[in-house]
Amino acid sequence: MKHEDSTILNKYGKDPGFKVPDNYFADFNKKMADMLPDVEITPVDAKPTMWQRVKPLVYMAAMFAGVWCMMSVFSHFTSSGNLDSVRAVAEKLNDDKSNVEDFIMSGSVSDYDILNYEDSVMLSNEQDDSSDNHQ
Amino acid sequence: MMAEFLLSLRLKTISCMATREKYDEAQVIEQLHNQATCKSAFGKVIEHYSSQLYWQIRRMVIDHDDANDVLQNTFLKAWTNIDNFRGDAKLSTWLYKIAINESITFVNKKKVMNQLSLDDDESFLVNQLESDEWFDGDQAQINLQRAIASLPEKQRLVFNLRYYDEMKYDEMSEILGTSEGALKASYHHAVKKIEQFLGENG
Repeated sequence: MKHEDSTILNKYGKDPGFKVPDNYFADFNKKMADMLPDVEITPVDAKPTMWQRVKPLVYMAAMFAGVWCMMSVFSHFTSSGNLDSVRAVAEKLNDDKSNVEDFIMSGSVSDYDILNYEDSVMLSNEQDDSSDNHQ
Repeated sequence: MMAEFLLSLRLKTISCMATREKYDEAQVIEQLHNQATCKSAFGKVIEHYSSQLYWQIRRMVIDHDDANDVLQNTFLKAWTNIDNFRGDAKLSTWLYKIAINESITFVNKKKVMNQLSLDDDESFLVNQLESDEWFDGDQAQINLQRAIASLPEKQRLVFNLRYYDEMKYDEMSEILGTSEGALKASYHHAVKKIEQFLGENG
């Protein structure tokens, strides 16, 4: 199979003509290893400290405590507001008690009472008419 | 006499093999994360990778002294960040990435020093190749280097990794963070451009 780079490969090969001083890599390796500064390595399998272990639990507890505080503060304000409004409604209802009672009373008047009332009105009218005629 | 010579040669080879430890990457990575053994383990890493990283850097920066400086910076950067290397990627991939980034940074700095635009190609690096003490190639090799230097940065990288190092595309993909398809296309374009350049200037 002909490679796409075979033209270049056949004419130029793979040696670019670069070279290095004698023993360059051996010298470089030694020099490089000697010049490495000190670094702090964190062991991969290091046992976590007590704080590292309980940290997520503490954070979660703090979060729930925060939410609980917010909820209690919120409910404190909203519940006192409710009492005020309930009190105001109660006072208003007391003021309008007679109207309400009237309304309730009107419901208790029966048809029979209304007919009696109409008859009495008619009778009194008739009596008035007859007295006028006699005069 | 001859038998004695061969025997001494064989003994020397055996002692050499015994003193030179076999490079075991998994073991070296484990040692790198231990404060007591990390420095000696990194010495093994330097020994194992210095040559292959040097040639990759050299093909990017062309000059030997520059390649030496960039190689030093590469290992220093790897060493100071060794705590961040957790073995998720291959050590070679990680080192190649650092080496390539260091090479690109160096070439860009050199462009600025030579009052060139960052968009200019790297042909200026090849100009001093003829007088370079550490170059023994002929005019044809200089022409090839000039052709490679005329390529865009990514194609130049891909060509060097594939043509000289014969690196597989999947490994190259991990180093350069590009899909294999895109790398194959880059290599194809690079080869065509080099052939065209050499056809016109060769």
